[in-house]
Amino acid sequence: MTNSRALDGLISFLVGLLLWDLLARFIIRNPLFIPTVDQVINRLVELWGTGELQIHLMTSGLEFVCGFLLAIIFGVLGGMLLTASRSFRALADPWVSMLYATPLIALGPLFIIWLGIGLISKIALIFLTAIFPILINTQIGLAETDKNYLDCAKSFRASPIQTYLKVRLPSSLPFIIAGIRLGAARGLVGVVGAELFGARAGLGFLILTSSQNFDIPAVFGGILIFAFTGFLVVEGIQWLENRLAPWRNKGKEL
Amino acid sequence: MSVLSIKQLSKSFPAGMNTIEALRSINVDVKQGEFVSIVGASGCGKTTFLRLLNGLERPSGGSISVGTRSSNQPMAFVFQQDALMPWRTIAQNVQFGLEVQDTPRDLMNQRVLAVLKTVGLTGFEQHYPYQLSGGMRQRANLARALAVGAEILLMDEPFSALDAQTREIMQEELTRVCSETNKTVLLVTHQIDEAVYLSDRVLVFTTRPGRLKEEVPITLPRPRTLEIKRTPEFVRLVGRIWSLIEDEVKSSLQQT
Repeated sequence: MTNSRALDGLISFLVGLLLWDLLARFIIRNPLFIPTVDQVINRLVELWGTGELQIHLMTSGLEFVCGFLLAIIFGVLGGMLLTASRSFRALADPWVSMLYATPLIALGPLFIIWLGIGLISKIALIFLTAIFPILINTQIGLAETDKNYLDCAKSFRASPIQTYLKVRLPSSLPFIIAGIRLGAARGLVGVVGAELFGARAGLGFLILTSSQNFDIPAVFGGILIFAFTGFLVVEGIQWLENRLAPWRNKGKEL
Repeated sequence: MSVLSIKQLSKSFPAGMNTIEALRSINVDVKQGEFVSIVGASGCGKTTFLRLLNGLERPSGGSISVGTRSSNQPMAFVFQQDALMPWRTIAQNVQFGLEVQDTPRDLMNQRVLAVLKTVGLTGFEQHYPYQLSGGMRQRANLARALAVGAEILLMDEPFSALDAQTREIMQEELTRVCSETNKTVLLVTHQIDEAVYLSDRVLVFTTRPGRLKEEVPITLPRPRTLEIKRTPEFVRLVGRIWSLIEDEVKSSLQQT
């Protein structure tokens, strides 16, 4: 089942590459619009050879990992806090809804003014774009624990803390993981966004500077790496979910 | 000697500006080792009755006194299907009540294995609920209640989600488990033949507000096998209880 799914995915990906290559090679025939696949790959190999690509990868990778991990930690804690205290929720709810709906990328230029052109402004923007789906999903997961499980905990005389740790938290795990998956996708958008507004290195920076130099194969290379990373991150989280919450997907087959 | 003594038990729920009276002045004494079923038309408050006994709801009036020796947890609830937690294996589900009491791990594992053996689930410790059939899940549910060592089991339509054959098998299993472990059981059911087959006494509730309409002693000999359901005495008892409930339903229809 999973194997054939993975195979289908791979075939679909390869067909996509082939169509792109045919389009570039025989129809557009202008590398300034769309380069062929081999032009892109050659350019990436070149950039790797000069050591430039590694620097971009390291920079963006570090930004993403820091911002995303902080978003997971504070998103889950924030969601827990929102469900724990009614008055806190009353104060925080309008802000959460408003910030969740705002395209936070728009804060990019401000962050660079406030926090400088380096790592901190990028981490802050990635953190902010990724945290809200995680926070909201955690809150929903905790708030919507099945009443049957809560009754069960109560009937066994579980204390509120035991009920929280043994029932509410594990039952909301699938929600939290789904939030993390959404947060990861938004965080990747945050990486590009943050670097487009001003940076010294990174994949977004590579895309921006290459486009200014009409180095279109490098632009495509950067985009391709982003797409692939996004795919890996989402699949990785899916894998994690299958490990941590094996009941969730299999239960539906019965 | 009576292990559970219920006096003048009443329950009302607020419903907007009004209150709904769910139960009125229930008096019941249950003896050690007795199997008592509660039947009645739907909405008669029989589930509320069990929830009051277990502390899931607070009574509006009356008293419940428990005369068992075990202090940890005198009563345990057996829920309808799906109250097993999907993120826990069968063993972890069964030990839930023990975990809550901070039972030492060795003792807990021992108890879990013992009760799984009692309900016939040995070998399924590491399975998740979704990997088990409905009947097996209900066995695990029963095991979870047995594990805490409560003397009184409160069962809320435990077999209602099972198919007819599995239900009959589970009924037979339950009589075996109860006689082996000498538990006192209060069972809520809408299956009258189930109530007669399992019980020493059947309590028929009136429609809302629920009151005790009649107590029907079941004097069928024990141990009972499923064949007993075809004897004239069994059929007579089922018919008697049916007519009691039917009267209730008819009179409540005339009122509205």
